[in-house]
Amino acid sequence: MNLFGLALRLLWRDSRAGELTILFLALLIAVTSSTAITLFSDRLERTMTDQTAEFLAADMVISSHVPIPESWLKKATGMKLDQAQTAEFSSVLIEHDELLLAGIKAVSEQYPLRGFLKTTVSDYSAETIEHQGPPPGFAWVEKRILSALKLNLGDPVTVGEKKLITSKLITYEPDKQGDIYSLSPRVMMNQQDLPETGIIQPGSHVHYFFQFRGEPEQLAEFKRWVKPHLNLAQRILDIHEDRPELGSALNRAERYLGLSSIVIIIISGVAIAMATRRYTERHLDATAILRCLGSKQNDVLGLFIGQFLILGLLTSAIGCALGWFAQEILFTLLRDLLPQTVAKPGMLAVFFGVMTGMTVLMGFALPPLLQLRKVSPVRVLRRDLAPLPASAWLVYGLAFSIVGVLIWRYTEDFNMTVTLFCTGLALLLILGLLAHLILVLTRRSLSNLSLNWRFGLQGLLRDSRATVSQILAFTITLVAMALSFTVRNDLIENWRQQLPEHAPNHFALNIFPDQLSPVQADFKEQGIGGSQFYPVIRGRLTEINGVPVQKIVTKDSQGENATHRELSLTWTKNLPEDNKIVKGSWWPTEKKAEVSVEQKLAESLKINLGDRLLFIVGGQQLTATVSSIRSLRWDTMKPNFYMIFSPGTLESFPGTFITSFYLPENKKNYLNQLVKKFPAITILEVDLILKQFKMILMQLTQAINYLLYFALMAGFTVLFSAIYSTLDNRIYESALLRTFGANRVLLRIMHLIEFTLLGLVSGILAAIISEALLFMLYTRALSMDYQPTYYLWIALPLIGAFAVGITGRWGVRHVVNTPPLTVLRDS
Amino acid sequence: MQTQTSTTIIVTENLGKSVKTSNGTLHILSGINLQVASGESVAIVGESGSGKSTLISLLAGLDTPTTGTIRLDGKSLTDMDEDGRAAMRNQMIGFVFQSFQLLQGLTALENVMLPLELRGEVNAKQAAVALLGRVGLSERLTHTPRQLSGGEQQRVALARAFVSKPAVLFADEPTGNLDSKTGAKIIELLFELNLENKATLILVTHDQTLADRCQRIIRLDAGRMI
Repeated sequence: MNLFGLALRLLWRDSRAGELTILFLALLIAVTSSTAITLFSDRLERTMTDQTAEFLAADMVISSHVPIPESWLKKATGMKLDQAQTAEFSSVLIEHDELLLAGIKAVSEQYPLRGFLKTTVSDYSAETIEHQGPPPGFAWVEKRILSALKLNLGDPVTVGEKKLITSKLITYEPDKQGDIYSLSPRVMMNQQDLPETGIIQPGSHVHYFFQFRGEPEQLAEFKRWVKPHLNLAQRILDIHEDRPELGSALNRAERYLGLSSIVIIIISGVAIAMATRRYTERHLDATAILRCLGSKQNDVLGLFIGQFLILGLLTSAIGCALGWFAQEILFTLLRDLLPQTVAKPGMLAVFFGVMTGMTVLMGFALPPLLQLRKVSPVRVLRRDLAPLPASAWLVYGLAFSIVGVLIWRYTEDFNMTVTLFCTGLALLLILGLLAHLILVLTRRSLSNLSLNWRFGLQGLLRDSRATVSQILAFTITLVAMALSFTVRNDLIENWRQQLPEHAPNHFALNIFPDQLSPVQADFKEQGIGGSQFYPVIRGRLTEINGVPVQKIVTKDSQGENATHRELSLTWTKNLPEDNKIVKGSWWPTEKKAEVSVEQKLAESLKINLGDRLLFIVGGQQLTATVSSIRSLRWDTMKPNFYMIFSPGTLESFPGTFITSFYLPENKKNYLNQLVKKFPAITILEVDLILKQFKMILMQLTQAINYLLYFALMAGFTVLFSAIYSTLDNRIYESALLRTFGANRVLLRIMHLIEFTLLGLVSGILAAIISEALLFMLYTRALSMDYQPTYYLWIALPLIGAFAVGITGRWGVRHVVNTPPLTVLRDS
Repeated sequence: MQTQTSTTIIVTENLGKSVKTSNGTLHILSGINLQVASGESVAIVGESGSGKSTLISLLAGLDTPTTGTIRLDGKSLTDMDEDGRAAMRNQMIGFVFQSFQLLQGLTALENVMLPLELRGEVNAKQAAVALLGRVGLSERLTHTPRQLSGGEQQRVALARAFVSKPAVLFADEPTGNLDSKTGAKIIELLFELNLENKATLILVTHDQTLADRCQRIIRLDAGRMI
């Protein structure tokens, strides 16, 4: 038998007869959404990575206190990496008898390799984007430099021994470090002018940044090559290591994108399974005839799989094109929010979209199709001979394996995949049983109900296995939609809380103890409230339980970074806001020589409760016992500490105080007054970082909103097609009831009861599963605080009842008007 | 034109049914003028495609004619809406189909109870149990159609048709799906029940022997009575 030719012919006839419409739609949604989301998230991710690279002004940076060897730069050139350099140092500027400690940054011609600078000559509304720093002989300065030194734009400013003309005001600098030691207002100059300043002498405190840009493979290779050559004071910076506050936002966004993809694929998979089931049922007769005419079981199976493959490839091609357009539209919609250069769509993502579509098609469609293999040829004589359904293990096993692989692909975390997967599976099993139990109990109470209710319920009880699987299918769809919606809301809310409108935008440090009260009074006078002042004592961790820390740490770990420099130590009676004790307990009262360690550092240095840590503070040794491990949020723009000591431990050591506070743009002049009044205080302005951060979060929020709409749209479409795929039997039975005289009102009420109950039960089960999965997701995957989502318990049953009720009712509307004979004949 | 007598239960005038196809209008039935007396048994015979099934579906109010009128027990079916026709079916008509048309999810008993329940009768169960006993299926009350043989399913269908004590019973090839021995038993049962109920019987069949058992035979050819 020419199977392929026959498959094509049957496919053509079936599609003309409308037999494939639902399957085609379900598959189209799966492929379109998987292609669109894969393409979109891939492009967005690469765009975001590019953009976050702007925070470093490069793809990779080596920071060093001495110039790095020429051979390294040659190596980088050999690897076709573009290079730029900056040198940062502090210098006191004196103009018009005014003194100001400025942060000087000398940049090379190629700076910035990623991102751009913004300057203005008048006000902030007329900003210009610059792709290069100032030319030799000129300086670009922050506005505060001019006001503090009583200068106007165009006046010269002397850096060391070099006079530079202030030509522009610098308003944005991509790689402005949140580093506590580079906080003074900026003067940017050209690197060529640096020798003439005479500032750089052997032993000067200069921070060099050697920046590189290139292809990921070359960068990775260079990184591998250069790592062993680095000395203790040299570090490689990249976005995930260096800017944890951005890293976590991006990570969450990436995980959300991944979650959305899984959600849409699961929803579509459910629809494909239901549509294929309907397709199979409608092809039992044709199969019996083929079998009767001598087709072997495998021929029949090959014929239908062949049809599905052809259908899958054709639909995938269309879905890919639609997916491509959909993501293009998304990027067009997001044009104003995204950086000007958006990463190109990756062909691999298109390929992955098709592969996902085909895998999902086969994974969800194969088990129902296999049923056709078992059709007995005797069916041509006895139509009621239905083949045994495919083994439940096969049906659910295959679908679940695919979902498992997809979760693993997106989370790349085996433990989490297993946890999510097992939780979902266990819940489905329990709820399947629960749904079954509900049906059994309903059957018992049936005789006491009115005719409408009895007939409506009988619709559900007739084939309880099919009803349970329908309930589970709707439940999965509703769960997927609920997760998408809730996680998105909480993610955005979480970001909003993280950066409230008046988030601190300045740090003040080096406040000496005798200035603490006057500064606090000054803040109060200016209406700056709510700031907490922390003492800071510099100290180095040297031993853990008598073992030198250098022997404990691994190369390039957080622990290593923390141990080869001095840490800011503090002490406080109360646990700072945003800190949480994860192990041990906070000291209740004054208790000497105890220390609370930040969780990640503790993990990196393998510090446990009860360990004795030895610090060198101001040349003296200090031992403290670990009494708690804390988790904290680095992204709050508030002072955070790796080590917090119990009161009474550090008081005898000399220290200063640090605080963070919010100052609106129009009160910026207060900074000058503050610095004048308390010259020792150092002010760190983090407005720019905050602005950048807020912009990125806004973009992510928008992107996530669009994804949510997409997921919800897919969810509802699939819900509708899933209901449609269950209508055949209902239409037939309704026609039969009408033959015996059931009137339209009875049928309508009956259908409404049947579908609404189906949706209601699905909604209630969906609320239970969503709550459990949200708990797992928040605590394990997204590291967010879990709060019970009460609204889901009301919304899901209502949405389920309404959506399924209305759609089902609408789907069978014709049956009450079509002559019953037409339906009975067709059956 | 025949005149309507006081015992006439079905009267049609110029009854016709046509459908539009891509090759123009197809006339399935045309110019059917028919009177059936109450308690009469009528066989409708004819070749395949002659319009037999269409005629009984029109007479039973399962479908609507393109032309002409139908009066059932003096009431015009053609002037009724679907709910009106449904009510008429429920009150006056019983059906037996070639392919049984039992609801797969219901038991034999539930299938038989169905017409009475739709009518809102309270003692549906007793009546159904009694009638299933009459057709010899007392032991099969809780079986679903899948668990019954073809002959048994058709007996359930007969019980369902007569449980509501219909004035008219329509049977569309009632033995078409059965072997001759089982078919003969079913026909015996059908005529016995019909006699007991004094119902009017309208039967569509290919089987001349079966047709001969009826008081009158109507032949259809290409949609016309001959």
